[in-house]
Amino acid sequence: MEILIPILTLGVLGVVFGIGLAVASKRLSVQVDPRLEKVHGLLPGANCGACGGAGCFGFAESLLSGKLSIDACRVNSEEAREEIARVLGKKLEKKVKKIAVLHCNGGKRVKDRFVYEGIEDCVAANLILGGQKECVYGCLGFGTCARVCPFGAIKMSGEGLPVVDASKCRACNKCVLVCPKKLFELVPVYPVRDYDVTGRFDGVSNGVYVACSSHDMGKDTKAVCPVGCIACRLCEKACPFDAIHVIDNLAVIDYNKCTSCGECVKVCPMKTIITRMHTDKRTDGHG
Amino acid sequence: MNAAQFLTIFISAVFIYNVILSRFLGLCSFIAISKETRPAMAMSLSVMFVTTMASVITWLIYRFLLVPFGLTYLRTISFILVIATFVQFVEMVIRKISPAMYRFFGIYLPLITVNCAVLGVAVLNIDMFFNNGKAMPGSFYYSVFQGVCVGLGYTLAMLLMSGIRERLELCNIPKAVKDFPLAFIIASIMSLSFMGFNGFKF
Repeated sequence: MEILIPILTLGVLGVVFGIGLAVASKRLSVQVDPRLEKVHGLLPGANCGACGGAGCFGFAESLLSGKLSIDACRVNSEEAREEIARVLGKKLEKKVKKIAVLHCNGGKRVKDRFVYEGIEDCVAANLILGGQKECVYGCLGFGTCARVCPFGAIKMSGEGLPVVDASKCRACNKCVLVCPKKLFELVPVYPVRDYDVTGRFDGVSNGVYVACSSHDMGKDTKAVCPVGCIACRLCEKACPFDAIHVIDNLAVIDYNKCTSCGECVKVCPMKTIITRMHTDKRTDGHG
Repeated sequence: MNAAQFLTIFISAVFIYNVILSRFLGLCSFIAISKETRPAMAMSLSVMFVTTMASVITWLIYRFLLVPFGLTYLRTISFILVIATFVQFVEMVIRKISPAMYRFFGIYLPLITVNCAVLGVAVLNIDMFFNNGKAMPGSFYYSVFQGVCVGLGYTLAMLLMSGIRERLELCNIPKAVKDFPLAFIIASIMSLSFMGFNGFKF
């Protein structure tokens, strides 16, 4: 009979706890919007936070409450956006797809001013006299952008420069925010154009951009970097669309006007204005 | 019940017999969630809460259920039952009351259910404050206080570890030892240094 005591005690304990939990789960159950799971499943799941929400789940919640728009997630694919719009019963506006480009092409061609032996991180290096590079505007090359990229789209090349993989970049803006030199910019990826300006436009965008951020005088820029913008204004004269202007010693492209025709690339004496194709080649080690 | 006893419990639970670094309990969460300070802090707070409450509940169960029926040999299984039920219940309550807190603590609670640090502190309380099945005077307060202190010891170890690992993120570490291997090495060095406290006898 003695065996009954432990059996009963534990049995009763188990049953009481079981019933207690069952009652509690009914009483304390939380109604979850079924759309929440669906929307969350359609998000990229990188939890990059670029939308302003606390990760993808937070974004899904703000979508349901209407605090953020579907477009706030710049990362999501077009199909997923449409699917989310369908789940939420909302209309979707088309947005231009963008991609990150680096406004610097110096890399190892720019010499160091001093030997930096601190933390291998651009933000840390920038705190010491603006970094070790002779060009204070240029890329420091420690690859902080490559580390923060949630999609693995940025790789450091052998030339000490980050290279953006166009197929992986989702324009989440993380590299733009982290770069202490503010070298990244999100520029529109031009879709296939049906008109031809130069006669050699092959249907794919050249992806023209200015690979320099130096506001120094041309002479000073040339002294430290073989590919820096010297503000010669040849591109300004060559541009058929009035899309490129030299502002404060630096060529700047207005992407509302630019058709990526490539005229400025041809005339640039310093090879500062380049195409993304050029960068893409660099990843293979040919550039 | 006197202040000296409380001080002894505090120092031995936090430093000399630190739950992680000297007793080697609750190691999986110690390695897994110590990569950044914020989650480590959240996990530590949850553990501290659960160890405290588990001390209360298991003391009551032991004193008023197991001892009268002569079932002290069933303490492990009944403690697990009680702790698991309690953690489940707390998870539900938090989920109902505050979604923000649920997102902060909720993910760690299932981990704590099976955390041996929690069971460890319950068993330890029984070993230390019961004499042949009889509760020592003031043993309830000692048990609860020990629950808090073990939680504090856990927090201390977690914060030290996450601080070190956060700093290591910025260093050049050979690929072979990056992340977990290095965490194990750090944990053993920390454990060795905590052995130094053993010299003080309280």
